Amino acid sequence: MVGKSERKRKIAVEEVIIISAVLIAGLALQFFSGPFDKRFLAYPVNLVFLGLLALVFFMKKGAALSRMASGTLSVILLAAVTIAALWMGLVPGNMVKVSWPFVLLYLMLLVNLTAITALRLKSFSAKQIPFILNHVGLLVLLFSAGPGSADKSRFFMTVMEGSTEWRGEPSGAGKDAQVVELPLAIELVNFSMEEYPPKLGVVDKTTGEAMPLGKPHFFEGTLNAESQIARWEFRVDSIVDRPRYAPAAYVLATEIETGTVNEGWVTCGNYFQHFKILDLTENLCVAMTFPEPKSYTSNVKVYTPDGQVKAAEIEVNSPMTVGNWKIYQFSYDTQKGKDSEYSVFELVYDPWVIPLYIGFIMMLFGAITLFWKGGKK
Amino acid sequence: MSWNEFIYFAIGSLLFWISGTILIYTSKGARLGNILILSGIVLFGSFIVGLWIGKGHPPLRTMGETRLWYSFFISIVGFVTYLHWKYKWIMGYSVVVAGVFVFVNLLKPEIHTTNLMPALQSVWFVPHVTVYILSYALLGAATIASFIAIKELKKGEYGLMPLIDNLVYIGLGFLMMGMLMGALWAKEAWGDFWSWDPKEVWAFITAGAYLVYIHARILKFRLNLLLWLLPLAFVLLMITWIGVNYLPAAQGSIHVY
Repeated sequence: MVGKSERKRKIAVEEVIIISAVLIAGLALQFFSGPFDKRFLAYPVNLVFLGLLALVFFMKKGAALSRMASGTLSVILLAAVTIAALWMGLVPGNMVKVSWPFVLLYLMLLVNLTAITALRLKSFSAKQIPFILNHVGLLVLLFSAGPGSADKSRFFMTVMEGSTEWRGEPSGAGKDAQVVELPLAIELVNFSMEEYPPKLGVVDKTTGEAMPLGKPHFFEGTLNAESQIARWEFRVDSIVDRPRYAPAAYVLATEIETGTVNEGWVTCGNYFQHFKILDLTENLCVAMTFPEPKSYTSNVKVYTPDGQVKAAEIEVNSPMTVGNWKIYQFSYDTQKGKDSEYSVFELVYDPWVIPLYIGFIMMLFGAITLFWKGGKK
Repeated sequence: MSWNEFIYFAIGSLLFWISGTILIYTSKGARLGNILILSGIVLFGSFIVGLWIGKGHPPLRTMGETRLWYSFFISIVGFVTYLHWKYKWIMGYSVVVAGVFVFVNLLKPEIHTTNLMPALQSVWFVPHVTVYILSYALLGAATIASFIAIKELKKGEYGLMPLIDNLVYIGLGFLMMGMLMGALWAKEAWGDFWSWDPKEVWAFITAGAYLVYIHARILKFRLNLLLWLLPLAFVLLMITWIGVNYLPAAQGSIHVY
């Protein structure tokens, strides 16, 4: 698989041996000291590591640097990382991403990538820009998302409507999660929610399966909605949707062949009210699904220790940024849905978020440069 | 417009594509052939637009909808590649592939209307998915070309390599864009750029395989081995796209649909 000359082949074999040795060392570490604990890399260790990587840029062009920057080394490492990811993707419940061999592979990739960019930057020209965008972008990303991410922390915070909260529960801590005081306080002014109209369908009460079997059909429970399922025609005659109560639809079901009409209220029920179905035959009935959330929004005021107050609307896909913190809409009282009296936020602290965005932008432009590289005949 | 009308647009487009492709093989009909293929693309595209308007949100939610875009893009990729490189077979193969996905959609729709959940209501939704499907189409074309190149290699011919490399470069460009936009979206939605969700793991594997290919090409690895990496990478790609849902390691993925 290696190039023509004997020397190249020898180098590649050496590289495979070195990588294998490192991976075996990783396996030994894994065996004796258990999975890799990311917290080890937290500040200041990651900054020291960054300093060491930066030293590569000051290395003189020569045998050492070109060995570190070797292209075959890159291919072998890329292949090894891909195989590790295959393991991750195929074996249920694996711990690859926190295993020592994987961490060491990641580290070798960082060194190789740093050496290549260092070498290229020493002979910089405009022609190198696509290369720089892709490789420096990736380097910045891999560093911030790897060693950098050890500085990241996440918390959940549950805030009641009308009150202010500043204590959070670290996420991922499980049962022994201890509530901690955070440098942010959130006042929940209002929580509101929009729902899609609930759906109506014909369900077999004995099996719970929806009709037609294998290709179930549901229709929206909106006023005057019409549909046909199995041997009935349906029409929604009226809709009631009051606070606290579940949505309800008055359904007329006409059996097409006989013209027999069955009618009655159908509701999915909620924490406050029982569900109700409309029987069609001994086994089949009309039932309503729970309305699915369309959007949910928290109106908040955020207070910081230096006395700043920031008001915002937080939604899924629209977090709020306060310094190095981002506040996400995470959940609500799903039993009560629209009537939820609290909102759950996830607070993420990440001092590496700016380098991460720089890496992303560089790589996005780098990806675009592949188009004209590929556009050539 | 809804999926009920799909069959008319699909059969119409396929007729345009098939007759157009037959015509480009004749010396006199090439021009008319091009027009017919283009008409097929426009007709197919108008169904997507109609479905988008009919649903009130972009049709990118279900597996059937992603197949719809795949048929659309592979026909465009095939057509543009044929116009640029004059390889007629690439148009022929693209029509076959587009046809396969059209028939899968007709026979096994998986198109039940689903409401767009809050996490999917984002400006990143449309570019993230379309760019990915477009890259799948390009890399699919590269895979087809690699099979022909493997055959030609035995006769000592290398003529297809520039085309293959171009398709892989552009395909990988779109693949990377899809991945990066997905990561930016994930940050907005869940607070993490990357969380090794099963679909992410497989997207990573796919990108890794193509990265190995382009780096090995730069280093001039032997083609008789390297060319086999493209079909292999495409298998990995298909697992990312369709297979992930069925993997035991992937239960509980946020990307299952």
